[in-house]
Amino acid sequence: MIHLENVSKVYPNGTEALKNISLDIEQGEFVFIVGPSGAGKSTFLKLLIHEETATFGKIRVNGYDLTNIKQRKVPYLRRTMGIVFQDFRLIEKMNVYDNIAFAMRAIGAHERDIKKRVRFVIDMVGLNGKEKCRPNELSGGEQQRVSLARALVNNPEMLIADEPTGNIDPKMSFDIMKKLVEINNRGTTIIVVTHEHELVKEFGGRVVIIKGGEIELDKKLPTKYHPSDETDVSEEDSEEAE
Amino acid sequence: MKFTSSRYLVKEGLKNIWNNRMMSLASVVVLVSCLVITGAAVLISANVNNLISTIGDDNQINVYLDYQMSDIEAIRLGTEIKTIPNVDECKFFSKDEGIKEFKDKIGNDLYQSMQGDDNPLGHVYKVRLKDLSEYSSTIDEIKKIDGVVSVSDRAAIARTLTKLNYFVAIAGFWVVLILGIVTLFIISNTIKMTMYSRRFEISIMKSVGATNTFVRIPFIIEAMSIGLLAGLLSSAALIGIYDPVRESAGSMLSMLATATIPLSDVWLRILLALSGAGILIGALGGFISITKYLRKEGGEILGW
Repeated sequence: MIHLENVSKVYPNGTEALKNISLDIEQGEFVFIVGPSGAGKSTFLKLLIHEETATFGKIRVNGYDLTNIKQRKVPYLRRTMGIVFQDFRLIEKMNVYDNIAFAMRAIGAHERDIKKRVRFVIDMVGLNGKEKCRPNELSGGEQQRVSLARALVNNPEMLIADEPTGNIDPKMSFDIMKKLVEINNRGTTIIVVTHEHELVKEFGGRVVIIKGGEIELDKKLPTKYHPSDETDVSEEDSEEAE
Repeated sequence: MKFTSSRYLVKEGLKNIWNNRMMSLASVVVLVSCLVITGAAVLISANVNNLISTIGDDNQINVYLDYQMSDIEAIRLGTEIKTIPNVDECKFFSKDEGIKEFKDKIGNDLYQSMQGDDNPLGHVYKVRLKDLSEYSSTIDEIKKIDGVVSVSDRAAIARTLTKLNYFVAIAGFWVVLILGIVTLFIISNTIKMTMYSRRFEISIMKSVGATNTFVRIPFIIEAMSIGLLAGLLSSAALIGIYDPVRESAGSMLSMLATATIPLSDVWLRILLALSGAGILIGALGGFISITKYLRKEGGEILGW
């Protein structure tokens, strides 16, 4: 799924953001990327979505060799992943439904498929009844759920969440994390970039700590949260199948 | 591209025009001025060319005689003209007939005072030539005849008109070039503003895997629609003023009334050419600005 081999990134101003890192993430894993500000987490994400290119080393993501990828192939790489941003990045003039549908319209999906899929993800993230609301009528947690739904609507193989709980309160943060675990249980690889150690301790799973552009620790913590105790994800799957 | 996508992209492009209406209006106004000036320059040039060819096709010349020449001397001179091989027909037009043509313009009193020996005009022969290729040599031969003051030299008129046409072409070229650059600048700025106001959408579109073509199309449609609207408005303006200008030019110089191109022959060409030019300039302006913008990624798009 993700293979990084001796990857380094040096920016034109000389900043060495990543230093010779190697990492493999398999299909279906739930991985926390943790580290302080300026550790290289954002650069790591940018390399995965090919917003930046590695100065040295090899990167392979979802079957695409990013070392030699042609520019016209980049959109197709990005269709294999969904991205959740810390600041939600919702379009203010669009309601919840359109914000989510926008991600499907942007890749030329058919309106009939959009309707079906958007309804499904709205239900999945628990935003039923909020379809017509504008982002400014929603709480931070709800806005992040819209962002999550938008990242999921194209049914990506992998979901990248960049500080998904950075702008919401602890209770909402926990809800969002629970949703991510549920999604992971359906087979989607989840990569969560965060500096909130409490959340990592709470949810467990694989933790990669980056400091000073290097991987300081790559360890699997015991998983403490099991969504099946609270939500039956398989019900949602069967709903989609209908 | 799928039909639903095309419909969505066209709708987005048209929505952009409304959302950005002040800049769109500015672009339309500048583009209309550019296209009207371009169209006017081309129409003037086409009409002057038509005039030149009409004059060139006319094989009649006027031979002006000395105003003191008597009728008998004039008739003798006419027989001399007829002996020139290239002369097909030679019609006498007396100075009395000549001054009669000016009666309306100079008024009756002046007309009466210009009778007989006080007539300032000379007799004229209207000469039709057999072969226009020998035009210059025939003119030279006629000029050599004693008593001939001047010959209407169509070559001189054609030369003047050619100079005028050249001037129109040169001035038109520079005006169009300068206005074209200004228009491109304004249109590309309009598109840049639209892109800036939609930078979130562009960044999200790119992050979910929209191709550059897909992102680009609504902006190109916006720019082309502005171009088309400007093309249609400028065509309407030119078509509307064409006949009144032609008529007033014809009233000043009767030759212009018949030698200019009628509106029925040019309106469709004006419409197609200006609309096409508008669309092309719009597409080019849009393409330039969006291509530059699409090279940006993620935070760069949002200006972070």
